[in-house]
Amino acid sequence: MKKSDFRKINDSLWEIPQSFRSDMRVPARIYVSEKMLEEVFRDRSLGQLVNVATLPGIIDYSLAMPDIHEGYGFPIGGVAAMNMKNGVISPGGVGYDINCGMKLLKSDYQEEEIKNHLESLATEIQKEVPSGLGQGRQIKLDAASINKILEKGAQRIVEQGYGEKEDLENCESQGKLPQAEVTAVSDHAKNRGRDQVGTLGSGNHFLEIQKVDEIFNEGVAKIFGLFKNQIVIMIHTGSRGLGHQIATDYIKVMMTAMAKYGIRLPDRELAACPINSPEGKEYFAAMTCGANYAWANRQMIAHSIRKAWKNVLGEKSSPLVSLYDVAHNIAKIEKHTINEKEVEMILHRKGATRAFPPGHSEIPEKYQAVGQPVLIPGSMGTASYVLVGTKEGKESWYSTCHGAGRTMSRREAMRRVSGQEVVKRLESKGTIVKCWSLRGIAEEAPMAYKDIDEVVGVVHNAGLSKKVVRLKPLAVIKGE
Amino acid sequence: MKKFKVLPHRADLKIKAFGRDKKELFLNTLLAMTESQKTKNLKEQIKREIKITYSDLPALLVDFLSEALYLGQVNQEVYSRVIFKRFTDKKIEGKLIGLKVKRFGEDVKAVTYHNLDIHQKEDKTWEATVLFDV
Repeated sequence: MKKSDFRKINDSLWEIPQSFRSDMRVPARIYVSEKMLEEVFRDRSLGQLVNVATLPGIIDYSLAMPDIHEGYGFPIGGVAAMNMKNGVISPGGVGYDINCGMKLLKSDYQEEEIKNHLESLATEIQKEVPSGLGQGRQIKLDAASINKILEKGAQRIVEQGYGEKEDLENCESQGKLPQAEVTAVSDHAKNRGRDQVGTLGSGNHFLEIQKVDEIFNEGVAKIFGLFKNQIVIMIHTGSRGLGHQIATDYIKVMMTAMAKYGIRLPDRELAACPINSPEGKEYFAAMTCGANYAWANRQMIAHSIRKAWKNVLGEKSSPLVSLYDVAHNIAKIEKHTINEKEVEMILHRKGATRAFPPGHSEIPEKYQAVGQPVLIPGSMGTASYVLVGTKEGKESWYSTCHGAGRTMSRREAMRRVSGQEVVKRLESKGTIVKCWSLRGIAEEAPMAYKDIDEVVGVVHNAGLSKKVVRLKPLAVIKGE
Repeated sequence: MKKFKVLPHRADLKIKAFGRDKKELFLNTLLAMTESQKTKNLKEQIKREIKITYSDLPALLVDFLSEALYLGQVNQEVYSRVIFKRFTDKKIEGKLIGLKVKRFGEDVKAVTYHNLDIHQKEDKTWEATVLFDV
C-alpha cells in the first residue's frame, strides 16, 4: 500500500476507497495527519484496516484512529460498527485484554501541598497495588465470588465496601454491562481471574500520580472538577488473565464455527461469527463478563490507592474522587442515527475510546451539558490528556484515540536505552519511577511510542473529541 | 540443533522454534515460552497431565501452548519437559514437567494465531513461528 492509494478527505482524514481490494465491503478511513500517515506505512496495520472492511455487516467504514498500530486481526486503534441483523462480532475486534481502560481519580490538593509526600505516596501505592505476577498477597476468590464479579462488575466491589456510589455513577455503563452470562465463561478463564482482582499486570499498564499541567477549556474543566496544578491519579489496566483466556477460548470457537456461516477471512485472528448466532451471542455474553471484571479490577485498584493515600496523608486527607472510568478495548451494543433512523449496532472499539457527545443519555447527569470525559494515557513519563466527547464525533460512532501507540519493539527500545537511563532521564524531569524491573522500564521508554501530543492533536482537529486538560506525570508506578 | 530464537517484533514476543520432528518442535516452542516468562523458580518439581484435541496442526500447537500457559499461570509453574504419550496432528496426550515459580518476570498473556506458521523443511526438520501477546 502506498500514499497514492489514499484519497485525502481533509487535513485529518484519509480514505482507502472500496475499489482498493475486491473483497472490501466498505471503504477504510484513517484519522491522521499527513506527517503521521508516513509512519503508519511502517507496519501492517493498514492492511489489517482493509481486512476489517471485508467483515460481513460492517456499516459505512472500517475506521482507524491516529494511534493505529499492528494488532492481532484488527489493528489497534480500530473502530468497526456491525449491523445487528446480519453483522458479525469478532474477538479480534476487541482484543485480548477485554476492557483495557482508564480510570482517573481527582484530589483537592495542588502540587505544592503534596510535593513533599510524593516519594512516600509512590512507594505506598506500589506496596498496596500488587502487580499480580508474584506469589501471595492477592486474595484467591472462590467460584461463587468470581461469578458475582463477572455478573455485577464494579458494582459488586462497591457493594462489598471498596468504593463509593459516586464511583459507579462516574463510570462507563456504571461499571456493569447487563448482558453478562457467567456460563459463557470457561473455568480456565475464571481460574485465571481468581487471584487477579485489584492487580495491575505488566507491559504498558501503569499507575501515575499526575498534575493538571495545562487547561485548554476552562468551562469544561470546571464541570469535570479539574483545576491548574491539581493532583490526580491515573489507572491504566484491564481484565488481566481472565480477559485473555476469554479471547483465546472464543477465537478457537469462532475459527471452527465460521465455516458453517460461510465466513471466509484473510486472517485467522479476524475470526468472527454472526452476532445472532449461538457462538456470537455466547462470545458477547463472555466478553461482557470480561468487561465487568475489568471494571471491578480498576475499582479495586482505586480502593487500594485510596488506602495508600490515607496511609501517607492521614485519615483526614481530602478524598480521591473518580472523574471517570472508560474502556478502550470493548464491543458494545449501541444505537446510532443513520439517515434520521435509529440503528442498533455492535460497535467494536479496539484501542479506541468511546466519546459520547453532550446530552447523550448514557453519560452521567453532571457531564450532560458538556459531554463525556475521555481519558487518554501518554506513554510512560509523557503527558496524558483529558478530552471531551463532541457532536462532531458522530462520524466515528463517537469514538476517539486511546493513547500514544507503539512505534518501536520492546527489544529495540531495550537495545537503545537502559532502564537506568530511562529512570535517570525521567527523574531529571522531576518524575519519580517505581517499578520492580528495570527491563520493564526500558521496554516502555517514551521513545518507543508515537508522540501523544500529535495523536491528541489529530482527534482534536478532526473534532472527534476536544482537549480539556493536559496532565503531567509526577510519579509512575509500574507492575513489571 | 538450535532450539529456538526470538525474532524482532514491535509490541509483542515472536519466536521461531526448530525440531527434528514434531514432538521436538512442540517441546522447543514450549521452551521458548517458558524462557520468555523470565521466572524466578523454586526447586519443587511439578508434573501436569495434558490432553489436547484440535482440527489441525497449527491450531493444535497454539492450543498446546495455551494450555501450558494456563496451567502455569494458575498454578504458578513453568514447564521445560514434555512426555508425550500420544502425538498425532490432531491430538496430544502427555505430561508437562517443570518447576514451581516464585515470580514471573514477563507476563506472557496469550498465544496468538497472528502470522502463525508451522512447516516441515526440505531437510525434513520442522520449524514454527509463534507470536505471544505480552
